[in-house]
Amino acid sequence: MTEASLSPQKQPVSWLQALLSLFIPGLGQAVGGAISRGFYILLSVVTLSGLSIFAAAQRPRYPDYTLSFHAYLRLMVASAALLAFLLAIYWLAKRYVMRGEFAHNVATPAFVALTVVVLGIAAPAIIDTVLSPDEQKQLFAFTSLLVAFVVVAIWAWNVYDAAHIRNTERAPSMSSFYLLVIVGILILGTRIVQINPEKAIREYKDTGVILSRIVWPWKVAFDYSESQLTAEAKIQAPCPPDADPPPVNEPKEGEPWVIVEPTCGDLSIRDNKGKLTFGTQLTIRGGGFQPNKPVHIEWENPIGNAFTPRGVGPTDIDVGSDGTFTTQLYVPAITIPSMAQGPQIHTLRVVQRGASEFTGKLSDEMKMALRAMLESIMMGLMATAVGIVLSVPLSFLAARNLMNSLHTTTQGFVGGVIGLVGGAYLGKLAGDWLTPMVGGLEKAPVLTFTIYIVLVIGLAIIAYRLLSRALDAAAERLSPPVSLGLGVLGMAIIGAGLGYALGVGYAHGILGITRGAEEAASMAGRTGLLGAALGAFLGAAWAWRLGTSSKIPLGHLIYTGVRLTLNIGRSIEPLIWAIMGVIWVGPGPFAGFIALTIHSIAALGKLYSEAIESIDPGPIEALHATGATRLQTIVYAVVPQVMPPFTAFTLYRWDINVRMSTIIGLVGGGGIGFLLIQWIHQFQYEQAGLAVWLITITVATLDFISASIREKMV
Amino acid sequence: MLVVEHLTKVYEDGTVALKDVSFTVEDGEFMVIIGLSGSGKSTLLRCINRLIDPTEGRILWNGKDITEANEAEMRQIRREIGMIFQHFNLVDRSSVLTNVLTGRLGYTPSWWSLINYFPTSEKQRAMQALERVGIADKAYNRADALSGGQKQRVGIARALMQDPAIILADEPVASLDPVLAHSILGYLEKLNQEHNITVLCSLHYLDLVQRYATKVIGLRDGELVYQGSGDDIRNITDAEFKHIYGQEAQRLSVSG
Repeated sequence: MTEASLSPQKQPVSWLQALLSLFIPGLGQAVGGAISRGFYILLSVVTLSGLSIFAAAQRPRYPDYTLSFHAYLRLMVASAALLAFLLAIYWLAKRYVMRGEFAHNVATPAFVALTVVVLGIAAPAIIDTVLSPDEQKQLFAFTSLLVAFVVVAIWAWNVYDAAHIRNTERAPSMSSFYLLVIVGILILGTRIVQINPEKAIREYKDTGVILSRIVWPWKVAFDYSESQLTAEAKIQAPCPPDADPPPVNEPKEGEPWVIVEPTCGDLSIRDNKGKLTFGTQLTIRGGGFQPNKPVHIEWENPIGNAFTPRGVGPTDIDVGSDGTFTTQLYVPAITIPSMAQGPQIHTLRVVQRGASEFTGKLSDEMKMALRAMLESIMMGLMATAVGIVLSVPLSFLAARNLMNSLHTTTQGFVGGVIGLVGGAYLGKLAGDWLTPMVGGLEKAPVLTFTIYIVLVIGLAIIAYRLLSRALDAAAERLSPPVSLGLGVLGMAIIGAGLGYALGVGYAHGILGITRGAEEAASMAGRTGLLGAALGAFLGAAWAWRLGTSSKIPLGHLIYTGVRLTLNIGRSIEPLIWAIMGVIWVGPGPFAGFIALTIHSIAALGKLYSEAIESIDPGPIEALHATGATRLQTIVYAVVPQVMPPFTAFTLYRWDINVRMSTIIGLVGGGGIGFLLIQWIHQFQYEQAGLAVWLITITVATLDFISASIREKMV
Repeated sequence: MLVVEHLTKVYEDGTVALKDVSFTVEDGEFMVIIGLSGSGKSTLLRCINRLIDPTEGRILWNGKDITEANEAEMRQIRREIGMIFQHFNLVDRSSVLTNVLTGRLGYTPSWWSLINYFPTSEKQRAMQALERVGIADKAYNRADALSGGQKQRVGIARALMQDPAIILADEPVASLDPVLAHSILGYLEKLNQEHNITVLCSLHYLDLVQRYATKVIGLRDGELVYQGSGDDIRNITDAEFKHIYGQEAQRLSVSG
């Protein structure tokens, strides 16, 4: 062995291992002593090939994996031939052409570059040779070829590597191998993610239309006054039988005018097949309008409904350079109700729209957007505030350094649990008795809820304290075996209760799936009893083991429970909470607020508790030594130390909440997101662009504010 | 009077920190514990006010067995036992005055603390304590703005607030320069002689021990290997020295 390490070039080449690795990649390495190395080589070859066969087959609607597999093998053969050819050229060049150090340094990169170029150029030819046109249509042949080539290269490297390996100490470097694997993964990734630069570049113009509307949407943020010129003439239809028709208008100076002749006539009639019989034809002359700008003709019926007459003549008329126009129109077909009394006077109105003028007033949509943005900001603020209030106490319960020192005795634990559960149950009964007197859930929901909370929590706490103190005192009076027996009994009861619940849950949850709901329900009783028995046994055994004065890590149990709840709350994204919120209280900012608050409590709880865990324990020790209670220690030693991280986390959370509040509207949570998604669905991209701008400005501003506050606080 | 009987502390991983340590501290003594780092000095001090619970043994404080006391009783007892620490253990972000006031927490009702209320009499007492250690002018500074010596004086003032009968000092001058060390120990000596507060202090340097101690005990690997009076320690032989500190320990020559 020492001889081998003296001269690295003279290391013996193992033909056997090379041959084995040629047959199965990695085999030679394994035989040579590097088993895990060989395993990884084999694993990478198999994985890359498998992924390639899968990905390349995804082209048609029904992938043909058999074809993909065979094509892949054929492409591997072709790649092997190409690689052998390139390696031969490389070896010849190295042997006869390249001299000197520069050539040696540049040899390998040049070879790699040459390979890439040749492969790129020859690829279509190779594919055409190996696969028929039909087969090519069924596959992503280019991907298959590239990966095949990479795998062949890995295979070749593996043969070389196997030849030179004795044990892992003097093995050649694996960097080429890693590089090839990465290249293979990237090729496959490009295919699976369907990255297509051609498509992106070719179709870039599609973005232009909508993007321009979103990027500069400010036109729709304002109101525009439309000036318009109008003139009217009165027509009576039908003509009055024995009275004079309305007077004909006169042309006016300096004002728009219109003259209609005759001033009375017959209405056109539309039969029930839609065929129109014309009534009287009117000649319309007008003047005093803006030159060379079209006018629009409107008809207003006797009760004031205006409309554009259809099918009785042109209604958009060009105006000459002197501001006048002439046109003809039949009286439109209008239904006069039978109860109409008196002369039916219609109005013919000519309208010319002027240029719209910028008024500087905000448009309705802009006002809506600003209101919604305020809603979002306040949603973020409120969610953060309520989140802080509720998460601070939770965070203390989730701080390992505070909780781990909290212990209780077995009897204390037993008494406590039974007290809590029993007291809560009594509280519920008391609530059931009391709340109907104040109106119940329907008439006084807030009062009912408050009563229940106060009674349940209050009685639970009172019962907990009473019972655990009573049991502790009893344990001191009684002889050790008796108090141990009590503790064991109590723990058995608790274990039985827990076990029963778990047993029933098992029946419904798991057996309900494997055996169907009905059979599971019938088995629930049995599994419950089984669970109870098991729980009682475990509880008793645990209590027996602990003894009477021994310590139960109550604090640790609380810590674990709270941490678990916080983690679950954090893992569910606010958008999902928002969906639940919408189901609960209906769409709008309240739902969004609920969603953000729940998530904030969980996230802040975890961040705060981690800040608490990283404080200096020295002051805690010092305060403990003065005789301070737990609460006093927390207030004076823990709280001052965690103020900077608490502030930083709070500001960070506010940032996130405002950002999230803008998009929580997408699922119905109110605020600007609500408007944004509506405008997008209605293809109103300018308005959507307004929303995007407002969101960006708000978030950037708040970012800046919170950064400055953070600087000043710490 | 503090009586320690057969005190033993074995940690969960098997480390024996204290092994059958017994000694007595009379009222008014300035007793110093010496020994190498890791010999159990800190553990011993923390067992006395039960920051650490001993595995075996008894501690009698004024006749009462405090190893059997429950948490509520222990809080009352701790009021009489003040403690100062090597790394001062002040709350850095709070003011000096607040730090000193926390020494009185054992006497104030719990819920007052929630609203940060201390009666004026307590605040006056705190200012007096600060005057006694000579830094009343720093009362409203943030605690982390002080130097090491000033911080330790705040620690002493905090301990004084408890009106203690005994002060435990866990290497109070190990982080301070020699001049400061004498200054701090001087304060402790003043409290010991003028107000009859018993002092139980662990120190590293023999010259300090010889200057201030009235009684000395030495620990080695958790066992009590030396007991002596102030005179005894001033005349300590090399053999005794190596018995406490080990064969490789070398004494620096002490003059006067």
